[in-house]
Order: sequence, then structure tokens, then C-alpha cells
Amino acid sequence: MTLIMIGTWYLYVGAAVATLFIPFGIGRLDENAQGAWIFRPLLIPGVLLIWPLVIWRCIVLWRGEEKLDRHRMPRKRQERATLVLICAIPLIIVTAVALRQDPDTLAQPVLLEAAK
Amino acid sequence: MSVKYVPVQWNSNKWKYDAALIGAVAAYVLIYIRLGTPAADLARPLDYAILRMRAFGTGAFWMLTVILCIGPLARLDKRFLPILYNRRHFGVLTTAVAFTHAMFVLGWYFSFTPQSQLQALLTSNLSFSQVLGFPIEILGLAALLILAILAATSHDFWLSFLSAPVWKSLHLLIYPAYILVVAHVALGYLQIAKDPTFAILFTGAALVVAGLHLAAWNKERRVDASSTLWVKACRPEDIENKRAAIVPLSKEERVAIFRSGNSFSAVSNACAHQGGPLGEGKILYGCVTCPWHGFSYRARNGRSPAPFTEMIPTYNMKLEDGMLFIDRQANQPGTDVEPIIHEVADNG
Repeated sequence: MTLIMIGTWYLYVGAAVATLFIPFGIGRLDENAQGAWIFRPLLIPGVLLIWPLVIWRCIVLWRGEEKLDRHRMPRKRQERATLVLICAIPLIIVTAVALRQDPDTLAQPVLLEAAK
Repeated sequence: MSVKYVPVQWNSNKWKYDAALIGAVAAYVLIYIRLGTPAADLARPLDYAILRMRAFGTGAFWMLTVILCIGPLARLDKRFLPILYNRRHFGVLTTAVAFTHAMFVLGWYFSFTPQSQLQALLTSNLSFSQVLGFPIEILGLAALLILAILAATSHDFWLSFLSAPVWKSLHLLIYPAYILVVAHVALGYLQIAKDPTFAILFTGAALVVAGLHLAAWNKERRVDASSTLWVKACRPEDIENKRAAIVPLSKEERVAIFRSGNSFSAVSNACAHQGGPLGEGKILYGCVTCPWHGFSYRARNGRSPAPFTEMIPTYNMKLEDGMLFIDRQANQPGTDVEPIIHEVADNG
């Protein structure tokens, strides 16, 4: 199945990125990681899952293109996500309850032998 | 100065917190199974495997609900701030509980398939065009994938490596994850549950999450509307050359607007050394100089001249109707800001 195959290859590439990034890349990019090894295996699942983001951040940091406003929080994004949550929850519940079929109100099963 | 990373920053309080959390999850699962067992009989084939699966599934839902209530509660009332503590461990445990639920689902419903269990899950129901009978397994799987990403990137390293805005944006995925979970339950178990207790609790919990977020959003919207981004400071002429005007932004934050000839720059009033009042100092040799110990900074970027490395935050400014305004949002320490140029009559 295509989706599973894509997912598998995605994880393979993630494993390759992790093999390079965790032993070699981390210490060069983050001085707090230099000489700290025990925590690194904890990062493997993260690299496997978000390796495109890891590569992008490595490029940004290696090129020294880090924006200086890195302390600013994405407040507008959070507001948008909050509004979607506020609208989606009642909508989903109302739809689900409205469409719910109560088995007791449906036609009762009839034993065919008895109906004869 | 730096702090080396460790796998988990535990202290005695976190040990207690985690122990209580794990104990609560274990108690919930046991009680759920215990209470659910009498409901199973030959007419209602509700066996141990299903009960166990539902115990972990509902447990993950309640945990996610609590996690999503913590943020808005803390924003609505500062007394709730302490419950923000260790929320990260709460999130990781929630992912583990949700993962356990998923494993039980795979092991129960897809055990005897000739395909792989995951393949069977993804292909057994493809009724995407209808609401009733929608493949809820996909919704749950998508939510679990998001939770896995959030748990896997919860270490301090990721916050530092990705930068706070990127990390925060990534972790905003908790919102779609919760929506997916609500849809997963509403179109799944809610459709077959005969006992109204769960339906009432589930609906109530989800609406509490939505309601708290609405209240917090409304509160922040009112605060934003009442407090302008730009703070009126002073007229350029009011500042003596090579000196500063000190402008309070809040009880904790003060800004010093320095004038050097016709050039105006704003920096934090607190020196990076010992918090000395920079605005009470003056510009010496082209640098803002702290009156306490002589630490120096360039006014336009808040950086000490080389070889020193101290940095203070800078602020954006604008000049309107002959008045200087300061952007309430400080820039990161060391951020270069183009000075405001304004002809001043007493150019001494």
C-alpha cells in the first residue's frame, strides 16, 4: 500500500538523518549539547518524525540566518488555532448527536422462521 | 554560562507529580474495568479486551482534556498558574496511554488479517464520503501521530534548536489533535453507547475545553484592545543630548530613550550586569554607559563593544506628530534597530 510505503521510506530517511545529526550535528549547533551524550537517544523519535524540519533548522543555523526575533511567540497562529477549536468542537458534537441512530428506534429484527 | 542537557530534569516534586499521575492512570484503568465487567454478558459481548481498550482510550481523552484546560485556566486566573508545572510529563504520559489504546485496538480488531495490522486498519473502512460510519480509526491514528510528534519534541533541546516560535507553532498541533480525538469519539463510541453517562461526560468535557478557550480568547482580546502596542513616550526635544528619557512600560519594564545629536534609540533601562539604571547614565565614547559600573552598550543594537559580549533588549520606535512612541514588545537582546533621526533645535 502506497501510504505505508511512503511512511516507511519517510522513517528510513529520518533514521539516516538521525545517524548524522545526533552524534555529529547537535554538538556543533548547540553548545549546551557538547559533551552531553546521555540525553541524545531521547531525540531519535523526534528526528524520525520531523526530520525535514531538522534539516531546515540545520541549514538556517549553519548559514547563520537565524532571525533575531526568535523570542517572539506566534500569537496570531495560536489565536487562529483557538478559534478553530472553539468552532469545531460544538459543530462535531451537534452533528454526531443529530445523526446518531438509536438502535431501539430502528426496525426490530424478526425471526424469519417465526414469521411463516 | 551554559547548562548541559540531561535526559529528564527530575527533582523530588517532579517524582511525586509523576508517581501521582501514573497512580491515577492505573487506578482509572482498574476501576473502569472493574465497573465495566458486570455489564458484560452473553447478550452484550463486552469482554475484557474491549473494556481494556476503552479504559485506555477514554483515559487518554480525559488526560488530553485536562491538558487543554490548563492553558486557558492559567490565562484566566493566575491562581491556576501552578498547574502549568510539569505539563510536559503529563503530555508524554497521555501519549503513552493513547498509544496503549491504539495497540489494543490493533491487537483486537485486526489480529487475524492476512495483511499487516496497520494496512488492515487503513483499508478496512474507506467510507470517507459519509458522516455516519466514517473511518474513525484514521482520525484516531492522525491524532496519535500528532501526539507522538509533540511528545518526541518535548525535550528542552528541541525548544532551543527549533527556536521558541517554531517550537510553539509545532506544539499548536495539540489543537487539531484534540479536534480529531473529539471527532474520533463522537463518530465512534458515542454512536453505539447506550449508557448516557459517557455521552454526557464526553460532551461536557469537550464543551468545557471549548468554553475555557473562548473565555481566555475573549479576555486577551479585551486586554489587547485596551492596551495599545505603541506607548507614547516624549518629545525628542525633551531629551538632553547624550542623555536619556526613562519611560515606564509596566511595573516591571522601563525603557531608556537615548539621544545622540539628532539620533534617537531605545534600549532596556536595566543593565545586563546588575540591573543598573542605564537611563540615568549617559553616552560616552559613542556608547550608553551604566552609571553604576560603567558597562557600555551601543544604543542602536544594545550590544557591548568587542571583546565584551553583554547584550540588552532594544525597542522599535516611531515619530508621529512630533512625539516619540515605543513599541511595547521588546526586541531580543542585541537586535539592531535603525535610530529615529529628528532635527532638534538645541543640537548641543
